[in-house]
Amino acid sequence: MNDENDELLPPQKQSLFPVTAEDIVDNALQSLDEQQAREVTKKAADEIVRLAVEKRKAEYRSDRAQDEMRNLIHNANLLDEKVGDYKINSTFETATGTTSVEIKKSKTNFVLIVIGLAVFVALVLLLVLTRL
Amino acid sequence: MVYLLAIVLFLVLLVFILEKSPITIAPRRISTGAQNAEIIKVLLNLDEQPLEDLFKLYREQFGEGPSRYARQTYLKWKSGSVRPNKQTFARFMVNLPKVMSFDLKCEVLRELREAYLARDTYKLTVHTDDWKQSLMPLVETINEKARTAELPKELQHRLTWLAEDDVQVANALLAESQERQSLNSLMFLEKEFANIEQLLDNAGGRGKVTHLLKLPTGTISLKIKRR
Repeated sequence: MNDENDELLPPQKQSLFPVTAEDIVDNALQSLDEQQAREVTKKAADEIVRLAVEKRKAEYRSDRAQDEMRNLIHNANLLDEKVGDYKINSTFETATGTTSVEIKKSKTNFVLIVIGLAVFVALVLLLVLTRL
Repeated sequence: MVYLLAIVLFLVLLVFILEKSPITIAPRRISTGAQNAEIIKVLLNLDEQPLEDLFKLYREQFGEGPSRYARQTYLKWKSGSVRPNKQTFARFMVNLPKVMSFDLKCEVLRELREAYLARDTYKLTVHTDDWKQSLMPLVETINEKARTAELPKELQHRLTWLAEDDVQVANALLAESQERQSLNSLMFLEKEFANIEQLLDNAGGRGKVTHLLKLPTGTISLKIKRR
């Protein structure tokens, strides 16, 4: 009777992709022999150490970049007091990549813009006045 | 005048159509020899110690003469001035993996992943007060893409040892390691953005900052602004 009931059960719903990436790795891990399993454990430990070393190096780069940024600001402030126009381009190797900074001060450009605007306004006024 | 206008209109239309229609360039067909040379080059990018282990293994497997030749020629293979022959390729990429330690296989695989897994570059503009909201979804997308990335099918087909169980495990281990490295990097970002904000504050509107965020799985070029 039980056998008959079993046969009447509807088919189980199955995924079209029954094997996931995790399954593949799990299966692979299970089929390793003892020696291979030991090698995997050792390599995983090595990787953790490697990451810790990388992190320490990154910390060092981060601290150095912070100091260099402070120096850059200090230098820009000094230039502000002594020079009219300047442009500083700097790059810093930080913990996560490279930071590029440009600090620019240009009085000349500002003066030129003001003169340009003044000339433009004068021309417009001249045009308006001649039409009247 | 009407003709001139018609010509200008025609040219504008032509430029518009050319810009919109994708130009497909047939992929350059690379010979097997050139592919072999590329793969050997990747292999020879190994760090000093794994490279030394590799040559030691080569000597053990193929004898003193071939080993001496390989040591003398590897810089030329690496630079591309000499192309390794079929036998050299088979020795390095087919026969040696069968006897490599798990550690060495991992290092070879690391180089292959470095060379063949695409690392995309993205551009993003962020403000010092909202960088997390703008950046994190992109980082998550990059990491997700890296999680599911696979070496090119052609390479897997040629280097059949890549499908072996221990290499599958090695691949998972390296992917996990890359993800942890990404997370470590992101932990530093908080401090870096604080530094950059301070710099922009002190620069008093005169500063421009860009940051190239290098993750193991991709690069993001950030244009950083202050409100």
